Amino acid sequence: MKLSELPDEGPYTSGDRACSGCMAANIALNVMRILGKNTIVSVPPNCMSVFAGTFPELNWNVPYFHMQFANLASTLTGISRALKTLGKDDIVVVGFGGDGGTGDMGLQALSGAAHRNENILYICYNNEAYENTGIQASGSSPYGTWSSTTPVKGKLRGNENFPKDIPRIMIAHDSSYVATASTYHIQDFIRKIEKAKNLRGFRYIEVLAVCNPGWRVPSHMGPELMKEAVDCGYWFLFEYENRKLTINKNPKFTGLREFLSKQDRFMHITEAQIEEMEAYIQRRWKSIKSLESIEE
Amino acid sequence: MIPQDTFRDMITANRAVALAVLRAKPKVISAYPISPMTSIVEFLAEFVAEGELDAEYVRVEGEHSAMTVVAAAEGTGVRTFTSTASQGLAYMHEVVSAAGGMRLPCVMFVANRTLMSPGGIWPELSDSMPERDASWIQIYIDDNQQSFDMILQAYRIAEDPRVLLPVMVCGDGYILTHSSEAVEILGQKEVDDFLPSYQAEHAYLDVERPTAQGIIVPPHYHMEAKWQIHQAMRNAKQVIQEVNDEFAKTFGRDHGGLIQTYKMEDAEQALVVIGSISGTVREVVDELREKGHKVGMVILRVFRPFPSEKILAALKNTQSIGVFDRSFSFGSAGQCFLEIRNALYGLDIPIYNFIAGLGGLDVREEDIRFMFEKLTSVKDVKDIDDPIIFVNTRGVTV
Repeated sequence: MKLSELPDEGPYTSGDRACSGCMAANIALNVMRILGKNTIVSVPPNCMSVFAGTFPELNWNVPYFHMQFANLASTLTGISRALKTLGKDDIVVVGFGGDGGTGDMGLQALSGAAHRNENILYICYNNEAYENTGIQASGSSPYGTWSSTTPVKGKLRGNENFPKDIPRIMIAHDSSYVATASTYHIQDFIRKIEKAKNLRGFRYIEVLAVCNPGWRVPSHMGPELMKEAVDCGYWFLFEYENRKLTINKNPKFTGLREFLSKQDRFMHITEAQIEEMEAYIQRRWKSIKSLESIEE
Repeated sequence: MIPQDTFRDMITANRAVALAVLRAKPKVISAYPISPMTSIVEFLAEFVAEGELDAEYVRVEGEHSAMTVVAAAEGTGVRTFTSTASQGLAYMHEVVSAAGGMRLPCVMFVANRTLMSPGGIWPELSDSMPERDASWIQIYIDDNQQSFDMILQAYRIAEDPRVLLPVMVCGDGYILTHSSEAVEILGQKEVDDFLPSYQAEHAYLDVERPTAQGIIVPPHYHMEAKWQIHQAMRNAKQVIQEVNDEFAKTFGRDHGGLIQTYKMEDAEQALVVIGSISGTVREVVDELREKGHKVGMVILRVFRPFPSEKILAALKNTQSIGVFDRSFSFGSAGQCFLEIRNALYGLDIPIYNFIAGLGGLDVREEDIRFMFEKLTSVKDVKDIDDPIIFVNTRGVTV
């Protein structure tokens, strides 16, 4: 599917209550345009469950199941296994988890589902904090970021931890398909979602989701920031399939300072912290690149 | 291979539960091992492996996921089974509650076991009692035949369109789960006639007819949904009785439905019990009857919905009542006691609450005799200073 073939309308309908410029809503809209009507969706408690899943105004024109925070992958498992017994396993079972529900509380269920190679598609929209509850740091929050639980006060200079690398955790499970994406890089995004739609087994795609209130940026900046994130190496685009990792876009490794300077969550950041981030990016790049050379 | 026809065998409650599940033919089974439930899911794994049971068997990484898998599968419109105990049930709790609220007719067997702390593996109802407010029907069994029969009845009750609530069948760990008794296993055809295959007709996930389940609702819809559960629980009282009566008529075994009474017709002192202790109490009632004491027993078969009307009818003419609880609501009293006293509100019958068998402590015949002696000694409500008595408790004089 090319961008020109992407349908104008999909099973994610207009009129959601997401914040202006929300990239999570943008992800849901575009994923559902690609997946189409033969799909069952589950969303755990997160922004998306609120802005698109509050009765009686739902934006899902497909069957929709809402369970708890820690069990999205198990919810998808139950649906998928039941469909198998009904002879309906052509239906795509997809979940949209935030980074907290995916890498923190939901990691155990996610690991179990990946380990069993459940026939499910798990989309993580990573907005890098517990944005729904009002911007608290999650295990996916970047080093140095301000959040309401990593304040810049007294001796604290924002988040003291580096984010978990959830895609690499999923690769370590030898999952059928693992990819990262961004809706700015729409051709790459469409290709990956469409590929995942047609694959069987456990599929995990993590998409960077700019959150305007959480990142403290104006609402028009989502796409621009996602482009810069990929260019400066803050967000790598890669995919892992058939036990082989492919880098989809090589970073330029320039512009990190400018990227950070546009976000008020980093407004306090020191030169020393930026150097720590640069070192982290290079460390992570080496880790990801090392997976490229694994031969069957 | 398990015979297709009706047969009898000396088996544990766990084996009987597994055989009932085999006969009920769920499509999705998911569980995580925990004593004293584990052998149930071992048996089921074998049935699936040998092709005797055509089901998806999902070996999850914890009970939270086990309950989630069966709830989501029920939400997709298929019959399921899970089982757990103790910490496993506590770990499941938020999903247990969601399944009730979503009106998913799941069936779960709980092998009652104490909840930490202190730690222990022996029978206590401190695992299932906290789930009494989770919108599940709770059935308590007291022998191994019931473990087979009530699993089958549980599916009928849960899936009844007047009910559509999940059912928890609870049985004392080890006392039932690991002791063998003669059990009649009904043939497949007999079970198929009693419990036809499940056709979901309420809200379920269907791409031809999109619906949403478990979603966030504003408060006025919330109130309505909760009221509907209340109505379904009321309906369940009738359905439980109907299913019991049909089962009794078809197979000749009457487990009483909501409650069962023993020598209550002219009883002056009554002991209300839950779970496997009823066997011991029956012995003591017989012994005391022989000595001329008018004593009897009421067995709580169902705790949710609570059979207040049946309890009132069974107990209103007694002179004193004791309620046995194998669990306790700290800061208050035993959960059964609270319900019984509520059901008898306005009657001036003295009621004691005997807390016994916690952590699996053996409840002996002499303990039951002590309870009846206590009931005989009390003349009216004013005689009772403190109704709560911890029986046979180290360091406690009663």
